[in-house]
Amino acid sequence: MIIPISVSSKENNDIFPPSLARLGNDDLVLIELQGSLEVECNESSSRDGRLVGKLNVDNPDKPTLLIGHHLLEGKIVTLPKPLGVLHRNTPIQNPKTQGESLDRSQSDQDEVDGWSIVAMVKKKLVFSKRPMPITILKQKT
Amino acid sequence: MDFRFSSNSSQEAGSFRLLELPPELCKLIESSIDETPSLSIKGHATDDAVLCTSDKTYALRSVVLSNTVIVATPSNNEEGGIDIRDQLHEILELVPSVPRLHRLSGLLRGLEYDEGDEDRHQMSHYSYQQARNEIQASEFEFSQGLKDRRILILDGNLRPIVPAHLSTILELLLNYLISLGLSHQSAPVEELASTLADEHEIPRIVTTQILSWFGVVNENLWSMDVNAVITEIGLGILRHHKHEPILETEFMTKWKKMAGDSFEADVQLSLLSGNCLQNSSSTGEALGGTLIYFPSSGLPIDPAARFMELFLTRQRWKNEEIEPFLSDIAINSKERDKLLLKYARALTSPEGVWYTARVNLNN
Repeated sequence: MIIPISVSSKENNDIFPPSLARLGNDDLVLIELQGSLEVECNESSSRDGRLVGKLNVDNPDKPTLLIGHHLLEGKIVTLPKPLGVLHRNTPIQNPKTQGESLDRSQSDQDEVDGWSIVAMVKKKLVFSKRPMPITILKQKT
Repeated sequence: MDFRFSSNSSQEAGSFRLLELPPELCKLIESSIDETPSLSIKGHATDDAVLCTSDKTYALRSVVLSNTVIVATPSNNEEGGIDIRDQLHEILELVPSVPRLHRLSGLLRGLEYDEGDEDRHQMSHYSYQQARNEIQASEFEFSQGLKDRRILILDGNLRPIVPAHLSTILELLLNYLISLGLSHQSAPVEELASTLADEHEIPRIVTTQILSWFGVVNENLWSMDVNAVITEIGLGILRHHKHEPILETEFMTKWKKMAGDSFEADVQLSLLSGNCLQNSSSTGEALGGTLIYFPSSGLPIDPAARFMELFLTRQRWKNEEIEPFLSDIAINSKERDKLLLKYARALTSPEGVWYTARVNLNN
């Protein structure tokens, strides 16, 4: 079985504001959290499009992430080795025609979607400290 | 800036992976804005996956992270902000690896090409294309591997040539170079191929592929790789001595005779490294040492098993003796030294470094 990997250019036209683009990529950023984002909901799709918090990277030395009453303070870290971000090429509108064009190169029955490298990332945002509780203070954005 | 789940985050979960890029891959990707580099992940569902570029193979390893890495992209709604596309708990690491060509010999068992092959009816086939899809090696390493393993491509199928038949063809080639008065640096391919076809019924396609294994074909002229031909002829003789050793002096005489006057001087025992074992005579007679056929290609692939086999064959090895038997499982000398450190014990004596088994095999 062969899974082809391509290098793709931008998939959409939206780009980050300059403050975030400073990390090296104008349309993709990696954010590292200690722990993970858990969402309590009956159906996983109900979290779609929901607000998690507010990210502020105006001060490159002190990026912050506000989630509920918790304020996380982070830093920008250069990765020891660059990371390629792979994204599965899922057939979007026309699954049938896409499948056929892939099948031609494949001699056997496995239908392989293939992956694309959508970005090469050299820096990430890391929020590794304990969150600070916030009560009255409101973030100015 | 608003930080939210993307509008289809639940379907998209799991569609991202992070891949750690070694510097040479970075360069490859950066330089390939216009042309697509040939990158692919290969292997059976049960194999450990590898990533292949056009000329290198890397083993893929998944490393679990205790932290979460969020992949976020610009939001496409009016207010801006950023979208969480996926949350990841592992990254994929790439480790340079030797091409996994070992499977070929098993897959091609029973499909050998021998003299008079045209008369036989072949039952099963294994095609070049099948092998390309299954063998975990890059394009370059794969075609090199076919050459090194002496595998012919006939009608799109892979056919390893029987060693004895190959030796015969090489001998014929050497003879015809002389009798037709051709230079071994620029022999016309067409003339050699038609002579062998007319007088010995060896198909042209076979001859031309063999010529390309043992030299460079450029504008229909063949420049012979003398060492490669001499080595293969030597192997042809040595192959008969897998169990009964042959006297080194006797072997060298035979070999030189086969090589003929013009290439006699190129015959050297070092050409057979990784394929033979030299035993100095233990009885101290004037007869000299003996040789035995011991190909590294016949040894196990797994390092532990290979060292076991090596130390069962010989209790102790000199550094330069054991090296040739490790080159196909270690990607470079650093890897090889790591293996030696792990599986062997080094003893320093006045004669140099000896390696012995780490575990006592007699238990």
